Amino acid sequence: MLTFILRRLFMLPIVLFAVSFIIFALLQLLPPTQRAASFITSEQQAMNIEAIAEEFGFYEPFYIQYGIWLREVFRGNLGYSRTSAQTVLETIAERFPASAELAIFSMIPILLFGIWLGTAAALNRDKFIDQFSRVMAIVGWSLPTFVFGIWILVIFYGGFGLFGIGRVSNTFLTEILRGDIHTPTGSMLIDAVINLRFDLFWDAIAHMVLPAITLVVVVSAQIMRVMRGSLLDALSQDYVRTARAKGLPQRVVHLKHARRNALIPVITLSGLTVTGLLNGSVVVETIFNYRGLGLWFARAATQLDTPAVTGFALLTGVLIVLANLVVDTLYAVADPRIRYD
Amino acid sequence: MRRTLTLFVALLTFGGLAFAQVADDTFVWIKFGNVNTLDPEGVYDTASGAVAENIYETLLGYVGDSITELRGLLATDWTISDDGLTYTFNLREGVQFHSGNPFTCADVEYSIERILVMHDSQSGVWFQSEALLGTGSNANDDESITWAMIDNSVECLDDFTVQFNLPQIDPAFLVKLIYTNASIVDSAWAMANGEWDGTEATWREWVGRDPRGGYLHDQMSGTGPYRLVSWDGTDVAAEAFDGYWGEQPAIRNVLIQVVDEEASRLLALQNGDADRISVNSWGVVESQVRGLAGVTVHESDSWAATVVGAIHLNQAVSVEDNEANVGCGDWGCGIPSNFFSDVNVRRAFAYSFDQQEFIEQLYIGKGNTLTMALPPSFLGYDPSVPIYGYDPEAAEEAFRAAFDGELWEKGFTITLSYNTGNTTRQTIVEILKANIEDLNPNFRVNGRGIQWSDFLTDRNNNLLPVSIVGWAPDYADPDNYMWTFYHSAGYYGRRLNFDDAEIDRLLQDARSTTDPAERASYYSAVAHRAYDLVPTIAYPQQSPFMVTRSNLQGVYRNPMLSGQFLWADISK
Repeated sequence: MLTFILRRLFMLPIVLFAVSFIIFALLQLLPPTQRAASFITSEQQAMNIEAIAEEFGFYEPFYIQYGIWLREVFRGNLGYSRTSAQTVLETIAERFPASAELAIFSMIPILLFGIWLGTAAALNRDKFIDQFSRVMAIVGWSLPTFVFGIWILVIFYGGFGLFGIGRVSNTFLTEILRGDIHTPTGSMLIDAVINLRFDLFWDAIAHMVLPAITLVVVVSAQIMRVMRGSLLDALSQDYVRTARAKGLPQRVVHLKHARRNALIPVITLSGLTVTGLLNGSVVVETIFNYRGLGLWFARAATQLDTPAVTGFALLTGVLIVLANLVVDTLYAVADPRIRYD
Repeated sequence: MRRTLTLFVALLTFGGLAFAQVADDTFVWIKFGNVNTLDPEGVYDTASGAVAENIYETLLGYVGDSITELRGLLATDWTISDDGLTYTFNLREGVQFHSGNPFTCADVEYSIERILVMHDSQSGVWFQSEALLGTGSNANDDESITWAMIDNSVECLDDFTVQFNLPQIDPAFLVKLIYTNASIVDSAWAMANGEWDGTEATWREWVGRDPRGGYLHDQMSGTGPYRLVSWDGTDVAAEAFDGYWGEQPAIRNVLIQVVDEEASRLLALQNGDADRISVNSWGVVESQVRGLAGVTVHESDSWAATVVGAIHLNQAVSVEDNEANVGCGDWGCGIPSNFFSDVNVRRAFAYSFDQQEFIEQLYIGKGNTLTMALPPSFLGYDPSVPIYGYDPEAAEEAFRAAFDGELWEKGFTITLSYNTGNTTRQTIVEILKANIEDLNPNFRVNGRGIQWSDFLTDRNNNLLPVSIVGWAPDYADPDNYMWTFYHSAGYYGRRLNFDDAEIDRLLQDARSTTDPAERASYYSAVAHRAYDLVPTIAYPQQSPFMVTRSNLQGVYRNPMLSGQFLWADISK
């Protein structure tokens, strides 16, 4: 098991090297002035487009540009992100905890809801709960996230003045900017506890409710459908019939024998979903102005903020490698027949 | 079921906590557009300027919403020598920086020399450099700049008297000094924190340096009524500065939040979580803001927009490798290189552009036409110059007369490019297309949306027969527009491939005098000549507006301020 994990971790640098190399290679397809154009917001600045391209070394050959970047990376410098007006590392350090907090906060209901409804639908095939879950899945799948997000924002925040946008209310935001509330971890909930500020704790939770509901409705649909299909498949297997023939109680047959086996695809999918959420949900974070990685990346990508996009891609690479590792380990937990030794 | 209900009630309780009105001594502005940098050297966008103009001070400022009436801020009074080359300012005494350091002439000298030295390519220092050094480049690109030039441009006569020495007359110099990049920074504090040490020994190392890596990028010590609490890369907090030399402001705390999604901004305003929000267009104002309880839409006939746009007609477009824009490069299947060199063609285009239709379509009626490429509020704007209105008969006549009838007989195919997402430019193209194609079945006008970067590249390479351009002012002086649009060496003018000695001479004359009446007459003459020759067609401006909560008092609009009003002037 240990060698398996180590082997996987050794892959990490190779993945990161490949990802960064590809991004740099792709950027060479753009002429230097076009890359410099992303720094320009007004006609006045457009006058200096050549000088800007020169200043950022866009006229240098590919290997030199990549070499300079790589050397800086080994010094722990991923560059400066124009869109966050901070260094890339600072931005990630500040925003990853935000996205992670929202990911964890919403992943628990997403998994519970998805697995529970998927199980119920499979066990009650074509009955009401199954039809209900089917409608839910269609709605969740087909409803664009931004439409649903804006709906519930208009209803709850606009209509009833509840919850609000951002990570915390204005008063707390001012206190944080003032330094009266210290935010060493970047996770509002943990920071609130460290500062013994329970008003901030509730406020931070209240600000995660609407984004979390949006994510639950949109994301759990897929998990629910996979759970249902996989469980239906398992229920028709020989070992389930054997278990029933042994006279085991219905509940044990369904939950221990059938569902446990049916969880493998759900685990795979959940791994991908968690990675996606840790990376920040672009749409949800934009609508609710939740300052996580997604909001940053969306701005960075549209403004061709190269250091930000590269840094974000590297982070994604790390997360995916780690998530795959966790998923593979969990297979062994769910299914004792899987061994990596 | 009961569990669900409990959960719902619990959620409502949390939600209630999140709902709070903004306090009476606090101003919350929710907008789009991130601050780029807080270093005055690099401030060249409205998001950064809106913060800097309240925290730093310049020698002079505007009075309220006027762009012509000036008042002393860090200067108390000033004199200009008869030859117009020496400006002497008496400085305010007893002024304190946010760090506690006292303000003296050394700070003025340091601040101005610092921007002239650094002058990075993304910044707006070029126009200060033109005034004080006689060149718009920095010392890396222009070898003729020496330390002596920079050093001599601004000199302290004593602790509270500063003198600027100009190499040539610049009628706009006073208003240039109001621009944020001429803000006075705390020199002792800046040097102590690793910024340039202000000496000849090190100045070379600082030329072209990007301010985004420096200490002043996110730290500020100015003399303004507010001090920076912090800027975390997105949101900005500021508070009133107790040691301010002037009157203490009513608003004690300011919070600026960046929210990209317009719907979210609107909801925050509606709920009273924001005192002011940025709204994109009149369409949104009329359909979603107007009528909201406790919300005011500020607008006024006296508010003139300062953004000026024009349809540029290129008189010698490149036809090499340019099929996308000029087709085959000849009549019928394309246009010849000199298509717009015949004044009849330019007039026909002007007569085909329906300005009223444009105002209706794009600004839902809230806009005004322009007689020239200069905002009406500026010196030299002449409302008596005629405007080409939509006139299909006149357009047809002009097209028939062009190129001795060859154009009318053979027809043409032209492609008008605009950058994707720019609805103004797209609307102009669509209006021109509809009206011109209507005149003759052999006329083809195609619209083409391209990326902003491609648009810039194509324009730089002289590939666009028509480019629709816009200009926002750096400083409140007509030269900033007129030279840019009409002079054969101006930023836009040189792209017209149009050379009129008369216009160039008038613009040069207007630059060489400080007498306002004389300058106005030169600009008026340029506008009349531009009406006859139609090098470019100025298109209508959108009427400005502002959206705030109704309890915000003292709102005004000075088009030269990035935030339209100063925080110190408002109250609740």
